[in-house]
Amino acid sequence: MSANGAVWGRVRSRLRAFPERLAACGAEAAAYGRCVQASTAPGGRLSKDFCAREFEALRSCFAAAAKKTLEGGC
Amino acid sequence: MLRPAGLWRLCRRPWAARVPAENLGRREVTSGVSPRGSTSPRTLNIFDRDLKRKQKNWAARQPEPTKFDYLKEEVSPREHNLCVFFFFRNFPLALDLGCGRGYIAQYLNKETIGKFFQADIAENALKNPLETEIPTVSVLADEEFLPFKENTFDLVVSSLSLHWVNDLPRALEQIHYILKPDGVFIGAMFGGDTLYELRCSLQLAETEREGGFSPHISPFTAVNDLGHLLGRAGFNTLTVDTDEIQVNYPGMFELMEDLQGMGESNCAWNRKALLHRDTMLAAAAVYREMYRNEDGSVPATYQIYYMIGWKYHESQARPAERGSATVSFGELGKINNLMPPGKKSQ
Repeated sequence: MSANGAVWGRVRSRLRAFPERLAACGAEAAAYGRCVQASTAPGGRLSKDFCAREFEALRSCFAAAAKKTLEGGC
Repeated sequence: MLRPAGLWRLCRRPWAARVPAENLGRREVTSGVSPRGSTSPRTLNIFDRDLKRKQKNWAARQPEPTKFDYLKEEVSPREHNLCVFFFFRNFPLALDLGCGRGYIAQYLNKETIGKFFQADIAENALKNPLETEIPTVSVLADEEFLPFKENTFDLVVSSLSLHWVNDLPRALEQIHYILKPDGVFIGAMFGGDTLYELRCSLQLAETEREGGFSPHISPFTAVNDLGHLLGRAGFNTLTVDTDEIQVNYPGMFELMEDLQGMGESNCAWNRKALLHRDTMLAAAAVYREMYRNEDGSVPATYQIYYMIGWKYHESQARPAERGSATVSFGELGKINNLMPPGKKSQ
């Protein structure tokens, strides 16, 4: 960590906002989770980008929530 | 003391990947100094002890140190009960290994313990200890290199710190060494199922997002191995018990923040330095979907192994000789008649 911890502090504060934004995207997160969970069933195989579509939906929702909180003043 | 030859070898290649194992073993350490990373196959080096010390120091200096104490607060009274209620004896000299801020000490009283040594690798934790009525001495020591003589302590306790020890067999042997005959070791450490939800979520998310995964949760000892390790270290009359504590969190990020606050961040050498935000997001979504409770919180499991081991003494009960039985199991129903009058159970 640097002397005044500026970068670390900034990254941490961004990370601290994650739970709130994730809560705003409950449906997309659930869809992604279900997709990944389905791959763990017997006979399923989890490979890279298996659930890419669901994750893109989640990520765009997340980014939108981030923008909203920024505009709302955080 | 290091032999001159060994010292020269170390100086010549300061970042040597190879430090001869026999030199490491022979060091008489009086302070908590841990060996550098070594690729020698005979030395077990899984965890970066320097980093663990830094993490614990950082955690001890947080503004609200009691916020993350709930696990230790849960486990310490159970260990205290083992000391006091089951053994009916007092311990003039006791040691707490990996004491943190001294959670066990606050439950003990003067009748049970005479003098209490508290050892930890993090000096900040020792600097603001919790209130206790028994006289204590704080020692800065690494659990793997204990600076005590043979046959010193009547009691050694360890609460939730042995899971970061590199060479657990050696640490247990050292504990056995510093115990007096008829001394007892009571330990609590995290076991195999700890944080399995977090481990699985991260694994699945990382596989889906990045195509592979690396370990983010440190390896734990299996309960079968623990019994063997204690036996190998020389302990008698072993008891190993498992318990599971489930703590509910609002989400995965809160869990990870709490783990960091407890000083339990990963410090294994093979840890990946970076966890992508995408992966974190994916893992949080998977965690919530796979493991959540009805009220929306997510559980995290902490599996605790409680272990008790005694150092041999002639007064301890021993298994009887084979063939020396005088009654058979079939007569159990008449046991009250069979027992001599003076020896009715206490």
